[in-house]
Amino acid sequence: MKLTHHSHQSGFTLAEILTAMVIAVVIFAAIITASLAMQKSFNAVDNYFATHIQQIRIIDYLNRDVKRALIVTTSADQQTVTLTIPKYVVQSNDQDGQSNPSLIGTMRTPTISPTSSYQVNYDYVGTTTPATSTVVYSINGASILRTEDGVVTSIASSTDSLVPKDSDTELTNTEYTTMSVTFQPIFTSGNVADERTGTTVFSLAYLRNKRRG
Amino acid sequence: MKVSLIQNERGNVLLCAVCTIFIVSLIAANVLLNCTARYNQASNQVRSWNEALYAAESGADIAYNEVRKIASNPTNAFGTSNGWTTSGTTYTSGTTTFGTNSMRTSETVDLFYTDPTTGNAWYRIRSKGTSPLQGLKRTGMDDRLSNGNRFAANASTRGDGDTLLRKIDFKYDHFTATYGPTGDGTNKAIVAVSPAPQLSRRVELIAAPITPFEAAIKVSGNFYGLGSAAYIDSYRSSVGPYDPTVKTNPSDYRYVDSQSGTVEIDNGTATVFGDIYGNLYTNGGTATKKTVNVHGVIDNNVPFTIPSFSIPTYLPTPQVSPTKINSNTTVTPPAAGTARAPTVYLLSSFDKQLTINQNGSSETYVAIHLTSDFTGQIDVKPGVHVQFFIDGNVDVKARDIINETGYAGNLQFYSISPTDGSSQHVNINSPGNFVATFYAPSADFTMNGNPDVTGAIIAKSFYGNGNTSWHYDRSLDALGDVTDYRIASYVEDIR
Repeated sequence: MKLTHHSHQSGFTLAEILTAMVIAVVIFAAIITASLAMQKSFNAVDNYFATHIQQIRIIDYLNRDVKRALIVTTSADQQTVTLTIPKYVVQSNDQDGQSNPSLIGTMRTPTISPTSSYQVNYDYVGTTTPATSTVVYSINGASILRTEDGVVTSIASSTDSLVPKDSDTELTNTEYTTMSVTFQPIFTSGNVADERTGTTVFSLAYLRNKRRG
Repeated sequence: MKVSLIQNERGNVLLCAVCTIFIVSLIAANVLLNCTARYNQASNQVRSWNEALYAAESGADIAYNEVRKIASNPTNAFGTSNGWTTSGTTYTSGTTTFGTNSMRTSETVDLFYTDPTTGNAWYRIRSKGTSPLQGLKRTGMDDRLSNGNRFAANASTRGDGDTLLRKIDFKYDHFTATYGPTGDGTNKAIVAVSPAPQLSRRVELIAAPITPFEAAIKVSGNFYGLGSAAYIDSYRSSVGPYDPTVKTNPSDYRYVDSQSGTVEIDNGTATVFGDIYGNLYTNGGTATKKTVNVHGVIDNNVPFTIPSFSIPTYLPTPQVSPTKINSNTTVTPPAAGTARAPTVYLLSSFDKQLTINQNGSSETYVAIHLTSDFTGQIDVKPGVHVQFFIDGNVDVKARDIINETGYAGNLQFYSISPTDGSSQHVNINSPGNFVATFYAPSADFTMNGNPDVTGAIIAKSFYGNGNTSWHYDRSLDALGDVTDYRIASYVEDIR
């Protein structure tokens, strides 16, 4: 057996190794930088989406309540909304629910008062007193609160400074509420006002119980 | 045998590339997964939730359309050919599927209140709308809120955020499981949703009858009037008699009823003179407080329709006589009757005076159907309520309309809309004053002279140039047969 030995194997020169290392460093630096940027971008997008979902939730809550409200009023700074809503279902803390627990969970029958202006009411069962809830939307720190007859629910919470603004317009025989919610995203280009404006979600809802015609 | 030793292997480059691609792919997959979940929630779940309300309100519109037929086309209301089933005074629809997302709606309508004065019925509309959930079968990502269970089969134990607002039925109908199919707590059952996860919303609307006389003057076409020194105010006869000083005296307890002399014009062009102690509505007009003397509100964007009028179908069989008023005639109805079951006289002509007496001391209800023109006189004695249905025209002097009750609601003129589209008119000439109401949606109404009018007029057009003093009785808004229905209340069952 004859072992052939390649005696002319040549290694890399120092210049070649240095060149390769420089290229490798540049490539890895680019990859790491891109990865970090991608991660930051992902965080920003994820955060934006998460806050955007809360924007929509605030709008949907307000829309739902305004549509079925009897009365809507907004504060001067447009950040607190108070609604009066008919109590359609007997609740356990209602006076008729407490006096007759079997009524809890049942739907009230509307009542008509022919002697006045034919207002439709959902009265406490066995009375002529309209059953209504008072619902207040307000801001508390980073949270948006919905308070119904004293029961507080946090419907949105974000460190992105969510700000809902509402205005109520009452015409002759109709009424509507305009709502907009903005927040301050993580990434800004320096123009904070524009960044906030760019996140605006807007909605308009008519009070179904105050119709024209 | 030769063994070749090759030492310049280059596989590590490929390995590095694969690892890099793998890491980048992991990051990309993570981004994609999160974005998909967010999108699923922000778009699909929100869209389905809102579409469910569209479906519920569409169903309510379907039911409302049937309710309106009760006034305009009663024989075709809630027809079985449209999928409705009737049980007493409750009507139930089939399921309507519509839209590209196969939304579904079903409705129930029931008569829940009958007005004791007019006999007019009020209807309750309950509508359920369902929208299939598009996209992935995933719950939300309410990681900003954590106060309890995000999702639970029983709606009352649901936690926070989106699961509290948008109650998605992924596998089972939460509403039926928690409150029963009708929502009253009975017949609760676990019912699987099919064919896909869904969202349902439920609304309840009240359809209230529209009575004919809701404004002092209401026209669907041209309006000209009144004189520059005329005025229209109001009072409520159930509170007390008319007093001309009340309209300018805010401290009077009756003042609140004096500012409803409203004029409604479904037209953008009108000529309005005089003082209106009420509101002025136009459809596309340009009236302002500088151009018209309106003490109430001006709204130039109030479109409406006045449906044509046909004689009610509930009237009993007419009396045998009289059949003509071609000589002065006095009748005393054989029974007091009610608003829904009056004593009926069917007349072929009317050019002399008819006097209608009360039946004993009872409030007496009378309906007259005249199949020709009215050119005579009518005298309504105290305690008598008359509905006067006229196929033809009206040409009388104001003094020919004698209403001794003093209440406009006790003498109601109805001009039946011609079915052939021919013209119709009501002309009230001087001299004299009158206390009555006119519902003539297909007629051109002309009033000459300066009469003192207590009542209301609904017509196709109106012309009157006299310095009339006109008093609308607010009690009229609860009188007369239903002409249409409006939605008077809206609630949503948010459970």
